[in-house]
Amino acid sequence: MHDDDAMDRFLRAAMAADAPQLSPAFDARVMRRVRPRRLTPAGRVVIALYVVVAAAATVWLMRDLPTGSILAAAVIGVPIAAGAGAYGRRLAAGRRAD
Amino acid sequence: MRAEPVPYADRPDEWLVERCCESGDDAAFAEIVRRYREPVFRLAVSILGQPFAPEAEDVAQDVMLRVHHAMRSFRGEARFGSWIYRIAFNQALNVKARARYRAPHVSDQALAATPSEDRDPLDQLQDERRHQAVLACVGELPEVYQSALRLYYWLGASMSEIALMLDAPENTVKSYLHRARRLLHAQLTERGIDAR
Repeated sequence: MHDDDAMDRFLRAAMAADAPQLSPAFDARVMRRVRPRRLTPAGRVVIALYVVVAAAATVWLMRDLPTGSILAAAVIGVPIAAGAGAYGRRLAAGRRAD
Repeated sequence: MRAEPVPYADRPDEWLVERCCESGDDAAFAEIVRRYREPVFRLAVSILGQPFAPEAEDVAQDVMLRVHHAMRSFRGEARFGSWIYRIAFNQALNVKARARYRAPHVSDQALAATPSEDRDPLDQLQDERRHQAVLACVGELPEVYQSALRLYYWLGASMSEIALMLDAPENTVKSYLHRARRLLHAQLTERGIDAR
C-alpha cells in the first residue's frame, strides 16, 4: 500500500503538465464536413441556363454529322465528363476538410 | 397553452440519434458533437500520448464523421456514448500504430511540471530524470493501462468518466490503475529509480 501511495504521488508530479485543448474551430470544421453542399437559388438558375444553352449549341453544331459520329462522341465524352465531375467533387470535399 | 419546446441540450442521446437518422437534423448532430467532442478528444489523447496531441484532434474529427455516417447502424444495444468511445478507442489505436514511426511534435518531457526557480537545480534535474523515466515506462504498459493513467493523472478525469470512456466498471478502472502503478514501480526499481 505504501508503494502504491508513493507511486500515486510520483505520477501526479510526473504528469502535472496542462492538458491539451481542442481548437475552437472544431465544431465548425466537423459540421462543414457533414453538411451536403447545396446550390443557392441563383446558382441553380445559372446551372439550368448553362445546360439549356450547352444542349442547344451541341444540337446546332452536330446537325450535319452522321448518327454514328454523334454516338461515338457521346460514348467517349460522357464517361470523361462524369470522371471529371467526380474528380472535381473529391477536390472540393478535400478543400472543405482543411 | 402550448408547452415550451425542450432544448436540444436537455434531450437524451437516443432522441438526438433518432432526429439525425429520421430527418437529418443538423442541430441534433451539432448537439451530439458538442456533448462528445471533449471526452472523445481526451480519450484519443490518452491513447496517443502528449507527443501526438495534434493527431488526437484529427482522431476526434474522424470519429465524429464516422459517427455521422454510421449512425443508422447504431442499434441501441449499448449506450450511445459507449458506442462512440469504442469507435474513438479503435481509431486512436490505428493512428497510434502509424504515428509510432513518425517523429513526435513535442517531447514526452513536456508532460512534467515546469521547473521552479526556487528549488535547487540539482534536485530539479534529478526530478526531471525520474519523471522522464516514469513517462518512458508508462509508454511500455498495455494500452488500456496507459490510457487509464493518462486520463486520471494528466487529464484529470474522474473514475466514473474513465469507466464510461473505457467501457468498464469503476472497480475495474481502479484495478487498472492499481496494477499500472505496481508495474511502473517494478519497472522503475529495475532501472534503479526510487519512485518516492
